[in-house]
Amino acid sequence: MSVTSSIVDKLNELPPASSLALYVSLNTYFDALRAIVDIFATKNDLYVFYISSTIPSKNIVGLLEILGVDTSRVFFVDTISHLMASASETSDKYLYIESPTMLENTMLKIEYLLRKYRDKKAVVVLDSVNSMAIHNDLKILSEFLHIFVTSLRTWEAYMVILSMKEQNTPEIVNMLNLVCDDVFDAGGEGK
Amino acid sequence: MVKGRERCKTGIEGLDNILNGGIPRGNTVLITGSCGTGKTTLSLEFLVRGALRGERSMYISVTEAPEKLVENMTTYEFFDKRLIDEKKLILIDLQEIYVKLGLEKLEFTLEDVNILVSQITKMVKELGIRRLVIDSITSICYRLTSKEQIREFILHLGKELSDMGCTTLLVSELLPSAAGYSQYGVEEAIADGIILLGNLERRGDLLRTLQVIKMRGTTHSRAKYVLDLTPIGVLLAPMLKGGSVEVR
Repeated sequence: MSVTSSIVDKLNELPPASSLALYVSLNTYFDALRAIVDIFATKNDLYVFYISSTIPSKNIVGLLEILGVDTSRVFFVDTISHLMASASETSDKYLYIESPTMLENTMLKIEYLLRKYRDKKAVVVLDSVNSMAIHNDLKILSEFLHIFVTSLRTWEAYMVILSMKEQNTPEIVNMLNLVCDDVFDAGGEGK
Repeated sequence: MVKGRERCKTGIEGLDNILNGGIPRGNTVLITGSCGTGKTTLSLEFLVRGALRGERSMYISVTEAPEKLVENMTTYEFFDKRLIDEKKLILIDLQEIYVKLGLEKLEFTLEDVNILVSQITKMVKELGIRRLVIDSITSICYRLTSKEQIREFILHLGKELSDMGCTTLLVSELLPSAAGYSQYGVEEAIADGIILLGNLERRGDLLRTLQVIKMRGTTHSRAKYVLDLTPIGVLLAPMLKGGSVEVR
């Protein structure tokens, strides 16, 4: 079974309003993107609200287009472009936050999208917990994830938290075990 | 069973949750904070949401022209210009009231204060206003010569409006360095409620915050929330606990 298929199968097993910690490696990152944004979201007719804290949103769109993924249902909450002085004009498609340390604002931008685009359910993708951990201490990050995951349940939204295996620490793994309903290792190297 | 006071739902979901259902009807509430914290935006949303619910609302502006306010409001997706055309939302320039009453002077006497209060309450009564915002009360208090006058003005105005069941927001400007919740220290003691908007600096980020300091007639959260001003209105999230320094 391909990595993409195994991730899709795992996502399909989840009941609505679930949160999943998805462990990926550099080798399986693109498979994960295709599985979530393309196959799972399309099949279930979901919006994708994508929190980018590793790569600027415009670059992710570029990657998805190379993969042949339709990005029309994807909305970005971009926490990294401002830091790199590459944020362009804001729109619902690209909502920029000044810094990945503005965790409450990240929640609020997702709430904005959930309130505005109520016609479909959504899957919220956090890419990635490791880059968030670079900018935030784990105590406040744990608090953020706990509140965020809980609030997303009331919207019946799926939450997928990407975790790069090469960059994981035992503390990050413990935190994800604590806040997520389920975990899935998509294979590849790392913890 | 004890029957709670009737609520005036602000229409800002996060704030209504903080207030256990809304502002107790007839309360006079100080919306206080330094510049850029969202006082005017929050107050306008309170009025627009009220007008959409069928409660006639009035905004008395001291600093901004009504045309400019309407222009600003068109950025909100929930705003409908027909509210203005149909006079469900009324915007008044206080300067015009001053002219009408012959109060174009730098300092008011107690008699002038009473004339102004009478005029405002007359408009509220005649127009059937259920929600009122005065932006800002600080600008009016600037013309009053003593704390006693300020006290008399706010007490008198608040009582008249409360008796008519009008829920009122008084916008109060604070200096970032100010202690207390109002410019003159009197407003905060007399108002039924205080909603403090602030700027909170955390590791170089400047967050907008909201905190309900007091609200007579209801239990409420006193926690601090982070606020975002969006095209669909004010959104609130609980502030995460972490080392932070407040600058207001």
